[in-house]
Amino acid sequence: MRGLYIHIPFCVRKCSYCDFYSLPGRQDRIKPYVSAVITEARAYAGLSFHTLYLGGGTPSLLGAEQLKNLIGGLRETFDLGGLVEATVEVNPESATPGFLDAAMDAGINRVSLGVQSLSDCELESVGRVHTAARAIDAMTLSRNLGFTSLSADLIIGLPGQTWNTLSAALETLVRLGINHLSVYCLALEEGTPLAQRPLGNLPSDDTQAELFELARAFLIGQGFIHYEISNFARKDHECLHNLNYWRGGEYLGLGPAAASHLQGRRSRNRPTLDAYVENPTGQVEYVETLGGEEKAAEEAMLRLRLLVEGIDPGVLSGRFSPATIETLVSRLDDMVMRGMLEFDNSRYVLPASRILTSNEIFREVLGTGTCGVPGGRHCEV
Amino acid sequence: MDNIRNFCIIAHIDHGKSTLADRILELTGVLHTTTNAQVLDSMDLERERGITIKAKSVRMPYKSKDGQDYILDLIDTPGHADFNYEVSRSLKACEGAVLLVDASQGVEAQTIANAYLAVDAGLEIIPVINKIDLPNAMIDECRQQLEDTLGLPGKQALLVSAKDGTGVPELLEAIVTLVPPPKGRVDEPLQCLIFDSFYDVYRGVIPHVRVFQGSLRHGDRIMIKSTSEVYEVDEVGYFTPKLTPCEVLSAGEVGYVGATIKNVGAIHVGDTLISPEHPETPEIPGFRRSQPMVFCGIYPINTNDYGRLTAALEKFQLNDSSIVYEKESSAALGHGYRLGFMGMLHMEITMERLKREYGQELVATMPSVVYKVFTTVGEDLYIDNPSRFPDPTRIDHIEEPLIRLRVIVPNEFVGPIMELSDSKRAKLVAMEHPDRRRALLTYEFPLAEMITGYYDKLKSVSRGYASMDYDFLGYRGGDFVKVDILVKENQVDALSFISVRDSAMPRARVLIHRLRKLIPRHLFEIPLQAAIGSKVIAREDIAPLRKDVLAKCYGGDITRKRKLLEKQAEGKKKMKMVGSVEVPQEAFLLLLKMEE
Repeated sequence: MRGLYIHIPFCVRKCSYCDFYSLPGRQDRIKPYVSAVITEARAYAGLSFHTLYLGGGTPSLLGAEQLKNLIGGLRETFDLGGLVEATVEVNPESATPGFLDAAMDAGINRVSLGVQSLSDCELESVGRVHTAARAIDAMTLSRNLGFTSLSADLIIGLPGQTWNTLSAALETLVRLGINHLSVYCLALEEGTPLAQRPLGNLPSDDTQAELFELARAFLIGQGFIHYEISNFARKDHECLHNLNYWRGGEYLGLGPAAASHLQGRRSRNRPTLDAYVENPTGQVEYVETLGGEEKAAEEAMLRLRLLVEGIDPGVLSGRFSPATIETLVSRLDDMVMRGMLEFDNSRYVLPASRILTSNEIFREVLGTGTCGVPGGRHCEV
Repeated sequence: MDNIRNFCIIAHIDHGKSTLADRILELTGVLHTTTNAQVLDSMDLERERGITIKAKSVRMPYKSKDGQDYILDLIDTPGHADFNYEVSRSLKACEGAVLLVDASQGVEAQTIANAYLAVDAGLEIIPVINKIDLPNAMIDECRQQLEDTLGLPGKQALLVSAKDGTGVPELLEAIVTLVPPPKGRVDEPLQCLIFDSFYDVYRGVIPHVRVFQGSLRHGDRIMIKSTSEVYEVDEVGYFTPKLTPCEVLSAGEVGYVGATIKNVGAIHVGDTLISPEHPETPEIPGFRRSQPMVFCGIYPINTNDYGRLTAALEKFQLNDSSIVYEKESSAALGHGYRLGFMGMLHMEITMERLKREYGQELVATMPSVVYKVFTTVGEDLYIDNPSRFPDPTRIDHIEEPLIRLRVIVPNEFVGPIMELSDSKRAKLVAMEHPDRRRALLTYEFPLAEMITGYYDKLKSVSRGYASMDYDFLGYRGGDFVKVDILVKENQVDALSFISVRDSAMPRARVLIHRLRKLIPRHLFEIPLQAAIGSKVIAREDIAPLRKDVLAKCYGGDITRKRKLLEKQAEGKKKMKMVGSVEVPQEAFLLLLKMEE
């Protein structure tokens, strides 16, 4: 399994909470940008991929023609014959019939809509460009055009949000026929306008936790599976591209700020559009190759995000040598003894009660627990 | 010996002592006019705070008006009440004292305290009014204050401006005329007081000495009276202020002795050096060794640094023998030391110096005074650590240390000062007026109230005009309780404190409230309680943490997320575990700042 991610770093306007790399008002650079992506792709020519994901920024700002050029170029460069999932992120305001048609023609089979909320007040308070009605239209349009795999993003913890507004949004989305939902808790990321001037009516962490639990219960009641910490899906509608991230799989990310994981090596491109367009293949700013034990620990940490699948010891020993995972497995066993993990159906999984407080568990899995000793026991003084 | 004059300068803080010392050094040619003022304050910390902490001495040649050659030895003294111990031992090495009064400020609390010490030591006192160049100099008032409050001949006080040098030549003449030459015979067996010392990495301990009788030279054998240990002298000399070797140090002279004393613990300031041939030579009497009054625990932040802390303290004590310390261990903080200090300033300065000079990162626990605890079985115990208090059922009664506090303050602030002092359980015993515009308030004051921020408050309610000084008075009984702090049912020994019963609850509430803000939320609820015995007097709960999760790992940037987790784990290593609760180091400093 190998995934291909294309970063589209353009936005109409920057939302106040967003710390991803994207630039407002630079749509004039879209055309040269698409060429640059193809140029970067050629450095990996011949690789085969099973999933494709166009993320952003706002990929729907590409417009029909550039989307066609981009995917055409990728098909020429890579072996996409085995592609099983091709997602495009679409923002409601740019979800035009023209663009969605072109996506369908280009072989896109999954649409992920940046809905975030279905309350106009909430949307406006964080600088979203669209209204709730526009998001509902976009969803309906996508479905009517024949996209059967529909996902939406929702944010928990928007200013003024209550269970009333959140549950109304969830009900509407389910009624509109989505089969995948990403639910993210709002975080005040350093340097964002929202973190610099936090609004007074931001729900507290406790309220966020409460809202998340309610949303989770509602979605499970509607037949969704909570398959990853932030993701819910109906059976067989899990996002394969993202699953590959959590399973420690390989992926190539193209574009500024895009991350890759190929042959055990993680790398990341510099987040600068202009430099990228100038020299698309010379932007790697960070490379990391972890040692065996660290690599296994990292993969275990990622796999634990998969709430149902968890860590199958059999799968782990298929991917790493017994010596490499020896301390990791004893650490996991120890965590089961202490109630931090469950061993269920011959898999290590995160207890449901710890989904929202999983950082402590992940720290221990990484082996950087309180004392940094293998096993991560607390140091009593 | 008739031409030797050993003297010191005593003054209230900022009355110009160090500046005057510089002028004297310049006038005698020891020091050329320099831009880096205040030669005697060689520690950075002294210059920063403008106070002199360590006593040192400088020898100067001086030709008087009548053509005679003299040797003047100026022994520097610290000015603050906390350093009385160092003042008293420096005074012991002199025959005369220049009492300096700032013409614009008049007699202040430390002027009085230091003058009393000098009188007790039998020194000839030369009153000097300094800063006469200032436009607001009040020379006549100062003369009157010297007469009225200290019984000194104020009319004869010399008028000086240390800043521009006016009156300094006259002062040197007065020193020569008024200060008596040292007594003691060169042909008697050696008797020599160690009044200070420092540690040199290459040469070991170097004691600063005043020879009272006999003489000291290279090759002599010396014996420490208190321990009978014998050393061979490899160098004698005096300070200029650099170490300057000389042939011999004879009775009446001040200088240093090198004897390759490698063991830091071998020498104590206040010890007498004698000749091993005359072991019967008596100790030099009357050297007041005062008891430390304030204690606190210090712990290395990193437990691996315990050895370094031990070594640092050993060397430190050599330089400041008023520090006492002993091993202590705390369930919450691990292994450390309990240090005793002369007072709060002494404590603050010591902590700063330990950090700076020895590069030690430290956690200090709340300071405590020494309580006298009488048990039901008739013991009387001195307890300097609240966590070592006996069980309440074993206590018959408790006494706390009292000080005599003198505050001098402009009349308009008498009201606020009285109000402040009343709230600190102080008892006013006298109110006098050294002059028309100021009052001298004398209190019996619980030392425990002094160490919880009285001085800072005194300064703030008097807008900086009040001055204070104190000395130890004795013990007085009272209704005291020990308050324990429990974090999730686990007692935190380092946070226990002693309080008067009436104020235990409000203090406990403040502490618990602050603690709640300092301890991060955990996955479980953390009750914070303050208790007297088994009775809980304050409680707040830290609600469990409900959300601690990384949101989307968008676009597969796993590395950044992993690093974030690793950084969090790193931060947690700096916490101290109390049962299952991670408590940040800052929490243990809490009580220090509690009353502010």
